[in-house]
Amino acid sequence: MALLKLEDLHVHFPIRSGVFKRIVGHVKAVNGVSLELKSGETYGLVGESGSGKTTTGRAVIGLNEITSGKVFYAGKNLIEKKRTKELRREIQMIFQDPYSSLNPKKRVLDIIAEPLRNFESLTKQEEQKRVQQLLSQVGLSQKSIAKYPHEFSGGQRQRIGIARAIALQPKLIIADEPVSALDVSVQAQVLNFMKDLQKELNLTYLLISHDLGIIRHMCDRIGIMYKGRLVEEATAKEIYENPQHIYTKRLISSIPDIDPKNRGKMMALREEVKRDFDEKYNQYFDENGLAYDLKAIAADHFAALPGEGQ
Amino acid sequence: MTDPLLHIQRLRTSFKIKDDYYAAVDDVSLEVNKNEIVAIVGESGCGKSALAASITGLHNKERTKMDGRISFKNKDIANASINQLNQLRGSEIGMIFQDPLTALNPLMIIGEQIEETLMLHQKMSRQERKKRTVELLKEVGIPRAEQIYYQYPHQLSGGMRQRVVIAIAIANNPSLLIADEPTTALDVTIQSQILDLIRKLKDEMHAGIILITHDLGVVAEMADRVAVMYAGQIVEIAPVIELFDNPKHPYTRSLLQSVPSAFDKQERLYVIQGVVPPLPNLPREGCRFKSRIPWIPEEVHEKEPKMHEVGPGHFVRCTCYEDFHFIGEDGGMNHGAS
Repeated sequence: MALLKLEDLHVHFPIRSGVFKRIVGHVKAVNGVSLELKSGETYGLVGESGSGKTTTGRAVIGLNEITSGKVFYAGKNLIEKKRTKELRREIQMIFQDPYSSLNPKKRVLDIIAEPLRNFESLTKQEEQKRVQQLLSQVGLSQKSIAKYPHEFSGGQRQRIGIARAIALQPKLIIADEPVSALDVSVQAQVLNFMKDLQKELNLTYLLISHDLGIIRHMCDRIGIMYKGRLVEEATAKEIYENPQHIYTKRLISSIPDIDPKNRGKMMALREEVKRDFDEKYNQYFDENGLAYDLKAIAADHFAALPGEGQ
Repeated sequence: MTDPLLHIQRLRTSFKIKDDYYAAVDDVSLEVNKNEIVAIVGESGCGKSALAASITGLHNKERTKMDGRISFKNKDIANASINQLNQLRGSEIGMIFQDPLTALNPLMIIGEQIEETLMLHQKMSRQERKKRTVELLKEVGIPRAEQIYYQYPHQLSGGMRQRVVIAIAIANNPSLLIADEPTTALDVTIQSQILDLIRKLKDEMHAGIILITHDLGVVAEMADRVAVMYAGQIVEIAPVIELFDNPKHPYTRSLLQSVPSAFDKQERLYVIQGVVPPLPNLPREGCRFKSRIPWIPEEVHEKEPKMHEVGPGHFVRCTCYEDFHFIGEDGGMNHGAS
């Protein structure tokens, strides 16, 4: 059974205008997304800014109100039922910016213990012991407990954020651009660490990122979002080596190649894909400019291709 | 060979922190030629942006000390007055900044922001200026240029705003362009369009370009030569293919190992031990990268690291590159700093 299942998820934001703030329209940030996360896997959600990937993640954890559709977590519909305490502790989030997601006025102890205080009644000693355990789990020294966020480097702060996220032993972690504020070498540190932790605690990740190198490195399966809808979903290898949708092709071909000898080849490829994209764009989207529904084109490879034939 | 467009010799730029000065750029020598893209790579705190600010004089003069020579077209600009700099900046030297939202004035329409730089550096009538502005907008690939002229920055997307910043930078046909992380805030598809545009500036206007970035993919795609900076110094400089095929300095090699690639899947990423020390604590003696490769014996480092020529146009600082090796599966490959 899937750990997380989205069925035709819609998140629309009202646009208000005029003196009376009447609703004059909607921004359809997420416009019919269905996907499934298996337990223990890392699912990457990719797309350009404004494609709805962050909104999807936030809707799952309950930070954005869902307009319509269903979200099942371990078989339970999160929308019909009120989120129980139990459910809320099982889904946690790692935020993008370790500089702004930690309260600068709180000590590390209070930051990491906050979820524990909300959900468990521990004595002071027990609480301190748990926090110390968590700190050593994320590779920070025991002395950190009385320090403030500004005393740590970016990578260390992100680890504090991770310690807070795993404090309640969650099963699903939504990581929204977890390393995009960090330097490459620190990035490597945090990514390796997230992988280790996943094995250790059998975590499932929904990883949201626009960095296609990171996505390739981390993910088992990938969903490509464009204008609020999924245009393609497949295993990481398939997406990078055999993209089918015109947008996926464009995206994959835009990744800078790390080998300067391929420069000419890449530029030619990009030009070709761009021409294709401009010419065939309309074929790949319906009359309202929306991507078609996903169709299976191989086991574990789905793409929003136009109807029968082309 | 002709003289380089920009010639930096033994530049040291120190910033005042509390009561002392600390060098953020420490003994950097670099040449940029016409029709050449030189990339400067390194982590934050390595002095890349401080170097760019030194060239353009865009730092707080009261808190900064500069030694060394910067000559642009054979004229010294390190000690130029504000007036002299103002004549160069925006005309002979163009700048593209990282964040297009903060680089543009939110209260001015796009057209006026571009015209401002034309007005300061060229004698043109109002009609001519407007005509040239629309031309520039078209040149950087902005559709509906006549309408965009009247819009405000917030009405444009990130990629469009960055194009406007580029239009301002190239308005007066600069011969040197400094691009500080020009695509960091952008999506990959937009990034590749902006990079194409910068490449075109080189091909069509034969400008010399300094491209500051931390993205090694962008370097591989764009640069003719690459300078790798660490702790305020250039630790390695080489033609681009040589640098990627035959990197020598431990820092360059470590950086290349730590980037997740979209083209093949590694099990683990390499982690450089430790962190870039904050400016006041930068090691000033011996090999500055020493503390981050502690398994390399002390003797292989030079007392006073110099640049060694290891191939045509390929220089490496310190002798430790000869004996450098990555540490085994454990230690260095583990969580690294904590």
